[in-house]
Amino acid sequence: MASETRVLFRHVDEPGLASIETYRRLGGYRSLERTLKELEPDELLTTLEESGLRGRGGAGFSMGKKASFLPRGDMDKFLCCNADESEPGTFKDRELMQKNPHQLIEGIAIAAIAAGAGWAFIFIRGEYAEMGDVLDRAVEEAYGAGYLGEGILGSACRVEVVVHRGAGAYICGEETALLDSLEGKRGNPRLKPPFPAIQGLYGGPTLINNVETLSNVPHIVANGADWFKGFGTEQSPGTKVVSVSGCVERPGNYEVELGIPSRELIYELAGGPPGGREVKAWFPGGSSAPVLTAAELDLPYSFEAMADAGSMLGSGAIIVADESVSIPQLALRTARFYHHESCGKCTPCREGTNWTVKMLERVISGEATPMDLDIVASVQDNIIGNCLCVLGDSMAMPVGSMVKKFRDEFEAAIEAGKASAPRPLDESAADTRPVALGVS
Amino acid sequence: MAAREDVTLVVDGVEVTAPEGMMLVDAAKHGDVEIPVFCYEPKLGQPVGACRMCLVEVEGIPKLQTACSTPVRDGMVVYTQTDQVKEAQNAVVEFLLVNHPLDCPVCDKGGECPLQDISMGWGPGRSRMIDPKRHFQKPIPLSPLIKIDRERCILCYRCVRFSQEVAEDEQLQLLERSASSYVGTFDDRPYIAPFHGNIIELCPVGALTSDAYRFRARPWDIEDSGTVCTLCPSQCNIKLTVRNERAERVLARDNSAVDDGWLCDKGRFGYQMIASPDRITEPLVRSGGELHPASWEEALEAAAAGLRAAGARTAGIVGGQSSNEEGYLVQRILRRALGSPHVESRATGGLPASQRAGGQGDGGALRQDLIALSLPELGASVRDLDGAESILVLGTDPIHSMPILDLRIRKVVRRNGARLAVATDHPSALDGGAEETARYEPGFAGGFLAALAGELGADGYERADGELGADAERIAGVLKPGSTVIVCGDFEGPPSSLLACARALRAEEDGAGLIEAPDGANGRGLREVGCLPVAGTGLSSVDQGLDASGIGGGLADGGIEAALLLNVDPVRDFGAALGDSLGNAEFVVAASMFENSSTRHADVVLPAEAYAEKEGTVTHPDGRLQRLRQGIPHPGRVRPMWEVLAELSALLGDETGIDSAPEALAAIADEVPFYAGITPEEIGGLGVRWQDREAASRFPRDETGAAGTHGARPQDVPTRGVGTSSLTSPAAPDDAGLLLGTYRDLWAAEATEKSRALRFLLPRQTLELAPADAERLEVEGGDEVEVRSNGSVVRARAAVRERIRPGSGFLIEGLGDAARALRGELADVVKAEASE
Amino acid sequence: MTAGERRRLVGSMRPEDAERVPELHEVDVPDDLRERIQSAMSKYPQLRSAAIPALWAVQRHYGWCTPEGMRQAAAVMGVTPAYLESIATFYDLFRTTPVGHRQVLVCHNISCWMRGADDLLRAFCEAAGADPHAADHGGATSEDGEIFVKGFECLGGCDVAPMASIDERYYGPLSPDDARAAVEQLRSGAEVLPDRALGKRQAAGGPEPEPDPRVAATEAGGSG
Repeated sequence: MASETRVLFRHVDEPGLASIETYRRLGGYRSLERTLKELEPDELLTTLEESGLRGRGGAGFSMGKKASFLPRGDMDKFLCCNADESEPGTFKDRELMQKNPHQLIEGIAIAAIAAGAGWAFIFIRGEYAEMGDVLDRAVEEAYGAGYLGEGILGSACRVEVVVHRGAGAYICGEETALLDSLEGKRGNPRLKPPFPAIQGLYGGPTLINNVETLSNVPHIVANGADWFKGFGTEQSPGTKVVSVSGCVERPGNYEVELGIPSRELIYELAGGPPGGREVKAWFPGGSSAPVLTAAELDLPYSFEAMADAGSMLGSGAIIVADESVSIPQLALRTARFYHHESCGKCTPCREGTNWTVKMLERVISGEATPMDLDIVASVQDNIIGNCLCVLGDSMAMPVGSMVKKFRDEFEAAIEAGKASAPRPLDESAADTRPVALGVS
Repeated sequence: MAAREDVTLVVDGVEVTAPEGMMLVDAAKHGDVEIPVFCYEPKLGQPVGACRMCLVEVEGIPKLQTACSTPVRDGMVVYTQTDQVKEAQNAVVEFLLVNHPLDCPVCDKGGECPLQDISMGWGPGRSRMIDPKRHFQKPIPLSPLIKIDRERCILCYRCVRFSQEVAEDEQLQLLERSASSYVGTFDDRPYIAPFHGNIIELCPVGALTSDAYRFRARPWDIEDSGTVCTLCPSQCNIKLTVRNERAERVLARDNSAVDDGWLCDKGRFGYQMIASPDRITEPLVRSGGELHPASWEEALEAAAAGLRAAGARTAGIVGGQSSNEEGYLVQRILRRALGSPHVESRATGGLPASQRAGGQGDGGALRQDLIALSLPELGASVRDLDGAESILVLGTDPIHSMPILDLRIRKVVRRNGARLAVATDHPSALDGGAEETARYEPGFAGGFLAALAGELGADGYERADGELGADAERIAGVLKPGSTVIVCGDFEGPPSSLLACARALRAEEDGAGLIEAPDGANGRGLREVGCLPVAGTGLSSVDQGLDASGIGGGLADGGIEAALLLNVDPVRDFGAALGDSLGNAEFVVAASMFENSSTRHADVVLPAEAYAEKEGTVTHPDGRLQRLRQGIPHPGRVRPMWEVLAELSALLGDETGIDSAPEALAAIADEVPFYAGITPEEIGGLGVRWQDREAASRFPRDETGAAGTHGARPQDVPTRGVGTSSLTSPAAPDDAGLLLGTYRDLWAAEATEKSRALRFLLPRQTLELAPADAERLEVEGGDEVEVRSNGSVVRARAAVRERIRPGSGFLIEGLGDAARALRGELADVVKAEASE
Repeated sequence: MTAGERRRLVGSMRPEDAERVPELHEVDVPDDLRERIQSAMSKYPQLRSAAIPALWAVQRHYGWCTPEGMRQAAAVMGVTPAYLESIATFYDLFRTTPVGHRQVLVCHNISCWMRGADDLLRAFCEAAGADPHAADHGGATSEDGEIFVKGFECLGGCDVAPMASIDERYYGPLSPDDARAAVEQLRSGAEVLPDRALGKRQAAGGPEPEPDPRVAATEAGGSG
C-alpha cells in the first residue's frame, strides 16, 4: 500500500504553520541559525551538490552545481525564487507557499548566503494573490525576527527579500523570461549563453531556483547530504511533491519518494480514474511532457525512468486522461494553451503554435484530411530544436506524441467530423471542363 | 584599442580567418558563405536571435545554433549545408509565410525585399498552409511620414529596438503577445520623433513604408546616386533614388565615420524641396520695382556692374549650405575683385557681445583663437566618440544642431558605458542619459566655461563661488582628462575659455578632443576656405572686415552699399536686423533656391543649386572633406554655382581660370595649405579628414610658435549688466520678467517649409518656461502669450517644462520673427489678446 | 478608432503631440497612486522593475489600465506611456479596456476541461449575462457592467477542478449551480461560496500520517 513520505509536507495542515511562532516551535529556522554559526558558503555548496538535489521546477538540473556556477567575488549577486508555477497540472508550489511559507523563506536565505546573493526576489505568479499575501506577512515576520535584512542574527550576512507579483504569463516561468519580466520588460526569454549564473538579473550573477527546490534546502542543511540521498533513487534522490489531477478520484498534492511506481501514485494515492474507468493517456510532467499510455504505468516515477520512456518528469505533475477523454480534443486544448502563452519572439513557436491550433480545429470540425495529420506531425518536428526557448518544444512534444500514439483516434475524428461538416458541392452538377482563354 | 586576435575556423570545409569574438554570420562572409538573417542588425546592438533564420550546425553541439549570436572561436567547425540546417531554414521560411499576406504585387518593398530574396534562396518553395491568416487594419498611418501594414510584419523587432535603444524615444513598442503581437504606439497615437524614418530602411519587409515614396517606383526603374546631405552639419552620407531624373527618395549610405548608417527625417524627406514648384530656376533682374526673368548674360552683367560700383563697400554673406567651392569663390570675389574685407558665414559666435554692434574688436586675437580651436591635435573625429570614456556636451543640443551626433552619443553611453555630462542653457534631449547636468543662464556659456576652466585648474582661471561653482564641480567630476570628447556649439563669448578647458582636459591626446557643431551645414569648410571677416583662406591673416551685425550696421548707416548673398535667408538665419537693413543697400545680388528675405530686396537674383545637383566638396565639423556629387540634372536654367561665380569674378576683373568643379577644388587646395594636393578622387565616397593627411603639418600655428600655451583672458568673459563680477552667477531677473534665450529648432528650416511631407513639423513659436515661473506669471501650457523687450515683440504659445532653469525662458530661432532680437534680454511676458 | 478617424488624427498631428515621457505637471496623479508607485520604485535596485507593480496600482485604482492612468504612472516613473502599455498588453491579468470590476476567471485548461470547465464557464456567463464566446476569447463583461468573466489558462487549482478565481480568491470544485450562486453573492455583496474556498482545504493525502522513520529520526534529534 503506497503512502506518502512527507518531508516538505510534514505538519502541512498544522494550524498556524504559516506563522513564525508555530514554524519555529516545530523546529524551523534552526538550519539558518546553523548556517550562520557553523557553515561556510563553500561547505553549503558542497553539501547541496553532494545531496544530488535536482531542480524541482521542470529542468531537473543539479541545484548545488547550478549554485556553484556563480562567480566568487565582491559584486551584486541575486537569487530569484521561481514561484511562477503555471505549468498545467502543477499546483505543488501553491500549497507549499500557502501553508508553509517560512520553510521557503528559510531555504531562500540559506541559498542566498551560499551563493553570496544580497538580494532575493520571489517571483510569484499574479494569479496566486492569496498566496502572495501569505508570503508578504511571512516575510515581514522574518524581517522582524532578524532572519532577513542586514546583519542576519548578528552576522555580516545581508539578504533582502522582495515579493514580486507577476501579471499572468506562463512564459515567465522560463528562467531568462523571468529575469526580463523582473527587470520591467516584456517576458521574453533571452539567448543562452550568457547564462544567468554569469549574466542574469540586471546583468549580474543570478541563481534561479524553484520553490520546492529551495524548500528542500533547510532539511538538507539540517540532516546532511547522505540523509537526503537515503530517499528516492540514485539519480533522483529525495522526495517529490507530485500534483495529480485530471480523471482521478482524489486530485491533489502527494509527497512521495522518487522512484515509486507511477501506478501507485495514480491509483493508490489519487484513487485512479472515477467510475472504474481505465487510463488512456497520462502526462507525467505537466502538459509539456509527451504523453504516456497505460503500458507505461508501471514505470518508476523518477527523472531517469521518465526520460528513458521518451517523456520527462518535468515539474512533477501528473495529468490523467481516461477512456472518456477524446485525444484530438485534448491535443487541441493543449495546443491552445501554448499558442496563448507563446511570447511571440521567435518565429517557429509563434507561427507554429498558431498554425497547429488552426489545423487541429479543422480536424475536430471535420474540415481536415489525413494529410493534415502528416502536416501537423511535420510542423511539430519543424518546431522542435529550432526555437529560442523550450516553450515551442513544450507544445510540439506532447502534441506530436498524441498524434503519433493515437493516430487512429484523430483519423476517426476526421471521419466523424465530416458527417457534421458542410456538404461539398454535388460534383455531378458542377461544370468541371477547363475554360479556354479568349472564349466568351 | 587593441586589435582582436584572428582565429581560424572551418565553414563548410573551407578555412576562414576572422577576428575573435566576431559573430559567425559576419565571419562566414569572409569565406564567401552567406547565412540568411532578418532580425540581426549590428547597428542595433546585441543580437536577439529571434527570427531563427540563421540557424547553422556547429560541430559538438547537437542543437542548431543561431549564427548571429555565436561568436567565433579558434577551431570552430561549422556546417551550413547539411540536411538538418536546410530543413530548419525551410521550416523558418514556411513559418514566416504562415501569416504573411501575399502582397508582393502591391507592396513597395517588392524587388528590394529580403523576405522575397530569402524565401527564394532558402525556402521550401511552397507553403502547406491553407488556413486563414491573421488580419489587421492595413495600411494605417504610423505617422504622417510612414505607413504601417501589420499583416506584413514578421516581428523581427528591428523597428522597436531602434526606437528603444538607438533613438531612445521609446514611442514604438510591441503590444499584445504571441501571434497577436503587433508593433504600435501608445494609445495608437502617431509616432513623432526626428529619427523615426530610419525604421523604413530597417524593416526587412513592406510593413513600414514611406508615404512620400508610396507607389512611386519599382527597384528596377531606379538608379542610385551617392552624395552628401547638406541640410545640417551632420553631413550624412546619402544615396539618392533617382527615377526619370527626379530625386524620389533618400537612403542612408552608411559611413561609420560620419553617420553610422542613420539619417534624420529632415535629411530623409527634405529632398522634396528640390522639386518644389516655388524654386527659382532662372536669373531675375529687377526693373521698375519688379523682378523679371533675364538671360544669364544680362543678369551677370548687371550684377557685375552693381558690385563694381560699390567696390570695397560690398559685403558678402555665404549661407551654411554652400559648398567649399562656392564659399571660396565668394570670398575671392569680395577680397580680390572688389577689395572688400567683409565676408561672413557665421550667424553666432565670433566677436564678444561687448564688441558687437559695429565695433571692430580684436579680430587678430579671434583669428588666433580659431586657429587654436582648429589645431589638428585638438580636434576629435566622430569615430573618437566611440572610444571616449567621458563626453561633455556644451552649449548645444545635438538633436537640433547636429542630429546624427545625438544618436552617436547615445550609442556610446549605452553600449560602452561612457559617462556623459551636459552643460547647456536650454534642456537637451540627452539630459536623461547624463550623469550630471548643469543649466546655466541663457547666453552665459562663457561664464560657465570660465568657472569650469577654474575647476579644472587651468592657468589664469579661478574656481567660482555658489551655484556656478557647484555646477562646474559636478561637471568636472564626470570628465576624464585625456579621454574626453567635448561636443560644443556656437555660443556667444570668446573661445579662450573653451580652449582653456580643452587644454586642461588634455584634449590633444589621441582619442580626445573637440567637435564643434557649427551654425551652418558647411560651417567648418566655409571657415577654412576664408569666409570669415577675421581670417582668409586657410585661416590666413587678412585685413579685418565686419561681422554679421557689423554688416547690418554698415548697411543701416551707409558704410556698406552692396551685398552679395549666397544660399542665405538673412531674416531667418541672422535675425530681422540684418534682413531689414538690406532694404537700405544700393545693390543686392542674391543667389537663392527660393524667394526669401535675400531676394526681397535683391536687384539681381541668381538661381541656386540644390545639394542634389551640385558637384563640389564640403568639410564635416570634424575636418572630413566629403564630396557632393550631382545626382539629377539642373532644373530650368539653373547652372552650377561655381561656374556662375567664376564668370562673375572674371567680369569683375579677376580671371580665376576655373573651368570645372575639380579645378575649383584645386584652386582651394593651392590657397589652403592644409588642404594641399586634395583631389576629388582622394576624397572618394567616404571622405578623408584633412588632419590625417600629410598636408596637415602645414596648418598655421600660433605666431609665437607655441601651440597650446594660449593664455587665458578672463576679462573677455561676458558680463551681465553693469558692474557684476564675471565669475559669479548673474543677477536673477526681477519679478515680472524672464531672461530669454533662443535655440534653433531642427525643423525651423527652409527644407521643412518647402517639403510637403515635412510641413506638419514646422514649429509654432513657443515660449518654454519652468513650472514655477508659469505659476508666477499666471500662464498655463497652451496659452498664447506676448514676449516683449526693447520694442521687440514675439507672439508665442507657452509650454511648461520641468528642466528649464527658473527665471529663464526660451524661444525658437529661425522662424523669421523677432526672437533673435530678444536673445539675452530680460523680457516681459503677458497673456495675449485672443487673436483675430 | 476607425480608419477615417485615424487619418484625421494623424493629419492633425503636430510635433508637440508626440507621446514623450510626461512631466508630472502635465498629469494629475492622485496622491495615493503616486505614493504606491514610488514605494514600489524604492524596493528595487532599478526603477523599471516597478513597471508591473505600478500597473497593478493603476488597475486597482481605476479598475483597469486606463490610458490616462498609464500616463500618470509613466510620469511618476519617468518613462514613456508606450512602454507601460507594451507591458500591460503582454500580461493576461492587466486589462486595457474597461471591464466589470467583479472578476471571475474560469480555468479552461486540461484538468479542469476534463471535469466540466466548459459547462462551468457557460453557466457563469448565463448567470452574469455575458457573452460566452467572448468570455472564452479574451473575456466579456456582463450587460449590467458589473461582472467580468474570462476563460483562463491553468490557474494552479487543478486539485479542485473545475475551478474559478473569483475576485482573486480560488474556489472549487464548482458545479453550474455553484456558478449561479456565486454570481448571486457577487451581486448582493454576500460572502462568495464559503464552502468552496481553496484556502480552507486540507492536503489531499488526508490527515498527517505517521512520519517516515527517516524523518522521525531527525526530529528525535538523531542523524544529521
